[in-house]
Amino acid sequence: MEVKLSELKPGDKAEILSVKALGEIRRRLLDLGVTKGLKIKLIRKAPLGDPIEISFRGCYLTLRVEEAESINVVKIGEVGDGKPMGNQKKIKHCKIGEHDGK
Amino acid sequence: MASNVITVALAGNPNSGKTSLFNELVGANQKVGNWSGVTIEKSEGTVNHNGFTLKFVDLPGTYSLTAYSPEEVIARNYLIEERPDVVVNVVDGTNLERNLALTVQLMALEVNMVVALNMHDEVVRQGTKIDIELLERLLGSHVVPTSAVKKTGLNNLFDHIIRVYSGLIVSAKDKLSFSERIEEKIAELEQLLKTESGLDKYSTRWLAIKLLENDKHVYSEVKEYPVWLRIGKILQDTYDDFEQKGYDDPELVIVEDINAFIRGAVQETVIYKVRESKTLTDWIDTFLINRFLGLPFFFVIMWLVFQFAFRLGEAPMGWIELGFKYLAIGVGYVLPAGILHSVIVDGIISGVGGVVIFLPNIVLLFIALSFLEATGYMARAAFVVDKVMHFVGLHGKSFLPMITGFGCSIPAIMATRTLKNRGDRIVTMMIIPFMSCGAKLPVYVLLIGAFFAPEMAGNVLFGVYLFGVAIALVSAVLLKKTIYKGESEPFVMELPPYRMPTLKSIFFQAKIKAEMYLKKAGTIILLASVLIWVASSFPHSQAIKQNFQEQKVQVVKSNYVDSEKQSLVAELGLMEASAQLEYSIAGRAGKLLEPIIRPLGFDWRIGIALVTGLAAKEVVVSTLSTIYSLGETQDGITDLRAALQQDPNFTKATALSLMVFVLLYIPCVAAMAVFRQEAGSWKIVGIYSVYALSVAWLASFVVYRVGLLLL
Repeated sequence: MEVKLSELKPGDKAEILSVKALGEIRRRLLDLGVTKGLKIKLIRKAPLGDPIEISFRGCYLTLRVEEAESINVVKIGEVGDGKPMGNQKKIKHCKIGEHDGK
Repeated sequence: MASNVITVALAGNPNSGKTSLFNELVGANQKVGNWSGVTIEKSEGTVNHNGFTLKFVDLPGTYSLTAYSPEEVIARNYLIEERPDVVVNVVDGTNLERNLALTVQLMALEVNMVVALNMHDEVVRQGTKIDIELLERLLGSHVVPTSAVKKTGLNNLFDHIIRVYSGLIVSAKDKLSFSERIEEKIAELEQLLKTESGLDKYSTRWLAIKLLENDKHVYSEVKEYPVWLRIGKILQDTYDDFEQKGYDDPELVIVEDINAFIRGAVQETVIYKVRESKTLTDWIDTFLINRFLGLPFFFVIMWLVFQFAFRLGEAPMGWIELGFKYLAIGVGYVLPAGILHSVIVDGIISGVGGVVIFLPNIVLLFIALSFLEATGYMARAAFVVDKVMHFVGLHGKSFLPMITGFGCSIPAIMATRTLKNRGDRIVTMMIIPFMSCGAKLPVYVLLIGAFFAPEMAGNVLFGVYLFGVAIALVSAVLLKKTIYKGESEPFVMELPPYRMPTLKSIFFQAKIKAEMYLKKAGTIILLASVLIWVASSFPHSQAIKQNFQEQKVQVVKSNYVDSEKQSLVAELGLMEASAQLEYSIAGRAGKLLEPIIRPLGFDWRIGIALVTGLAAKEVVVSTLSTIYSLGETQDGITDLRAALQQDPNFTKATALSLMVFVLLYIPCVAAMAVFRQEAGSWKIVGIYSVYALSVAWLASFVVYRVGLLLL
């Protein structure tokens, strides 16, 4: 099911479907590697609930909830996420929370 | 080969260890200035190696070379306009995938490049294997493993720079290719761009890529040329065509192509040892920034920084004060009392002392801040409190400078450099002085002690501080909504892994800040302190002097006992000082101000104290002592309290009003000088001054009027 990145809970894993942000925020996200197909994990929310921290490929990134609202994702590991197992074309070499191992 | 002087630009991501590497490469031979027009630090340094002179320029740390942030524009313009002979791209070897994004952008710029594979010691320790030869072939540039911490690879890097410069190594320029549909368009655009001779400082391929990426700077540059008519059409057609066919837009395709290239390169060249499921960074963060402990830890750390900078700074500040005091006494032995003595002691020595006194605070605070920055906690601190700051339109990073303002506005204003967005930064600088600084405390202590019961004292004092914070926050909203509206910096930020910083880089940061303060702000501060001294000493009335001289003579001639005579003469001396101050420029200014400050409950005497208080806020107290003809004795403050209480014009409401005014009106000249230096224009200082004075006046007016009704 398609949800916004801002709707995830700590511990949730998800794959990015689209980045709807514009301008500087969009470019910043792209520069840091946040693009379609990226698998991320929501690590935590800040003590006051905003911003949030995500991780991917061994890096940690924070963004505000209002920025996360412009990113659409689909949760992974949920029954009925609509993805056949093992269909991870774009990011096959990388698992969540670790570098591409051999 | 043209000469033996090589210009080398250092480019790299934030957190890639670029600054540490730079410090190791050039050591103490560096000078720090600003990039023209902006207050972003520019470090340069020179090294001699094998008969060559290598001139290093440390570019601002950036993830990319787009045209959004000022750092990126600076780095990019430098690479294009100044054309350094060699570019050293510093990449964090433990995070190659992220760091190579910038490498690819440098490849697109077609610069002569050497890649410094930094933090190589950590790469080895983590058990990661990188096939450097293959990486070199893929990137088309040589790759040199380096470590700033272990000081390895530095000579090898120098050798490579020289060999690239001498043409012994040539960077291959054809390693980066895009999907077919992008390459087609690049070729089409390049052909047109080549017809314009004015654009030949750029690589046409790079221009074509940037045009497809919708880069606003390149757009406006190319728009100046007639060929734009045809180029603009191609771009429009391309965007329409891609959209029609359901492709991603060209910018996105380019980004994805680059990502694919990088991923491929990393996959082929890097073998990671299987990582532990939880790294040290994960463990630390589980505690340090979790939902419940995040804020308490944050406040403890802020408290520690504050104690470190200000409590630890007290002792050296005392020594400096003492040193200048002895110096003044020493001068007193050499020079007879008189005008020259006064110029040197009260003007110059106290002026220089007033500059140097802040050094311990600045040095200590920046040691603490660069430690937090280099360990990686700073970004996390911003993460923890961003919501509060975002609420008033600012960035999480604004919090720390604001807190620092409770100690002293000077290092606080200097600390706003961590803010990248100019609007955020100026607004933060403008609200810092509302955070009540340490020098204002003596004024509160004096007034609260004189007019409030001891059991109320703590509450009143707390109230004053809280009032300052409230005004600061409201001002932030107001300024952000009016003068500095527009987008804030996005909060998309990397949380770097925790690292132990090198002592050298921390030391350099503190040294740089100290030098900057002394050189730039120091001269203005000195000048302004001397001016204030002149204003409160001149003109000197001979008539007043003679009048008091005669009275003293009469006292001496009279038939009082000796001890009485002595105290009478001393009293006359204090009255004379008071009369002379009233006669001086500052005194006249105070009287001139009276109509304006009368509605706040202030008479000309307070007016004078507010004028001289611009030298330093605690001077408000000593000036009041002088005006009320009291000496600076041990129990001076008790005497002054009594004098204020007896003054029929001075009431509880006046005391409150004065505290509010001192809290809010413009800070001391030292802080104003630093403000000017950091803001980069007098106009901003002007806007701020008008704002602060208006707020101070209005707030004091309301407090005074309400006070008169209620108290």
